[in-house]
Amino acid sequence: MRRAFLYLLLLSVSGLLHGGQKSVVLIARADSKVSDLDSLTVRKLFMGWPVLVNGGPLHAIRNRSDEQLDEVFLQQVVAMSQSAYERQILTGLNRQGSIRPEDVTSQERVLQELLTDPNAVSFAWLRDVAHNPKIRVIRVLWSE
Amino acid sequence: MRTAYTLLLLALVTAPLARGDPLQAEFLLLPSAQAAGTFDREAPVTQVQDELLQADMLLTLQKGRFKFFAEYLVSDHESDLERLQLGWQLTNDTIIWVGRYHQPSSVWNHDHHHGQYLQTSVTRPDIDEWEDLGGILPQHFTGMLIESGHPAFGSWRLRTAIAGGIAPQLQADGLEPFDLLHPNFDRHTMGYQARASLHPSDFSESGFGLLVADDQLPWAGEPQTPAQVGLDHVDLRLIGAFGTYAGEKWNLQATLYHADARLHYTTSLVNDDFDVWYLQAERRLPHKLTAFGRWEDSFGTGDSQYLKLFTEFARIRYTAGLRWDFVSRQALTLQFENTHTLNGSFDAVRLQWSAAFF
Repeated sequence: MRRAFLYLLLLSVSGLLHGGQKSVVLIARADSKVSDLDSLTVRKLFMGWPVLVNGGPLHAIRNRSDEQLDEVFLQQVVAMSQSAYERQILTGLNRQGSIRPEDVTSQERVLQELLTDPNAVSFAWLRDVAHNPKIRVIRVLWSE
Repeated sequence: MRTAYTLLLLALVTAPLARGDPLQAEFLLLPSAQAAGTFDREAPVTQVQDELLQADMLLTLQKGRFKFFAEYLVSDHESDLERLQLGWQLTNDTIIWVGRYHQPSSVWNHDHHHGQYLQTSVTRPDIDEWEDLGGILPQHFTGMLIESGHPAFGSWRLRTAIAGGIAPQLQADGLEPFDLLHPNFDRHTMGYQARASLHPSDFSESGFGLLVADDQLPWAGEPQTPAQVGLDHVDLRLIGAFGTYAGEKWNLQATLYHADARLHYTTSLVNDDFDVWYLQAERRLPHKLTAFGRWEDSFGTGDSQYLKLFTEFARIRYTAGLRWDFVSRQALTLQFENTHTLNGSFDAVRLQWSAAFF
């Protein structure tokens, strides 16, 4: 009885820890050629700058399915306000004809886009993609 | 049209090299409307138009490392293909363009191009004015442009741009760039430009740098003023320095150009040189307001033989104004100017609405 109670307690603590920890991860298709991207390159990618991997440009998908995820993106990935980010994107379009990251507002569509484009890279909550064998986590962008 | 077809053909021939990559497209619309009036006018003519409605349209198509980029400006005064470039992304930091481009030795035009919304003031410094609005320096070339960036001195960044292409012609009413849509292959010469600047980080707009240009401008028109009679071509050389500070509240930009012009007449050669500089300061204020002021000045312009070809050039101009970004991607700007040209002076007031849609 005592052992069973101890097991239950351990399980609850572990569940709380697992459920309480939030991480945002950079993701790509499981067979993507992207092995690793440092934080500076990730920032460039999501600001519309060219990032070539194996000779091909990566395509950034901005996951806007969740308000808190969007906040993490602005604070931790591009490190600027929404208005400053828009200004940077506009400047890139005007100066070099940059392609801005695609805005996608549903998690399902983000995954669909990733699965159809081998050069696409996006980000998501770890809990939403951790058990998806078709998606590969490239790195942790932020965790709480 | 032949050059446009060549660019299109190049795009078609090289597209298979980007097989497997999806075609990506981007469209940006930068409309603006402006009303202006002059007063205390002593100059016989000015570059000020009473009203101006325009739409600047930018289209990008990208497939793999190939990029097609076009900018078309339509207004109630003109419509023109401003940029038409086919690009190859050589590395993360280097892109090679062929086509019609804005020459890189104009810092202002590189930063803002034709988009009114993206510049705080309504007008640009007169030294960087477009050819069809009385500009004295050639801005649109057709040839090759290479833009690059490199790490330098630790975390600093060296940005470079070099270009060479067909230069605009000198005509009775000013400079006339090579027209891709209606090309005229008579009397064209080349021009070369370069710009290099150092920035404290990859993403910083602050920085300083140097620029050079060596352009040959052929005369191709019927002379209408004494300065134009017998002119064959002008060798125009520029060197300059510039600096930008982009802070949270303040934005400062300064540029100095030294121009050396050799005017080749059929029976003589005239050597000429002059200096032009400007300083613009912008201060962000509460309620999405930005105050700005610009001081443009020059040395040696009063007796410049080259500038006799462009008598509306503003040798001194003081500009001040206020911009209000009243909603996302839309702004209203009120601007006052005091201008001294080679033929007189005038004051002007302008009100502009500008926006960006994508």
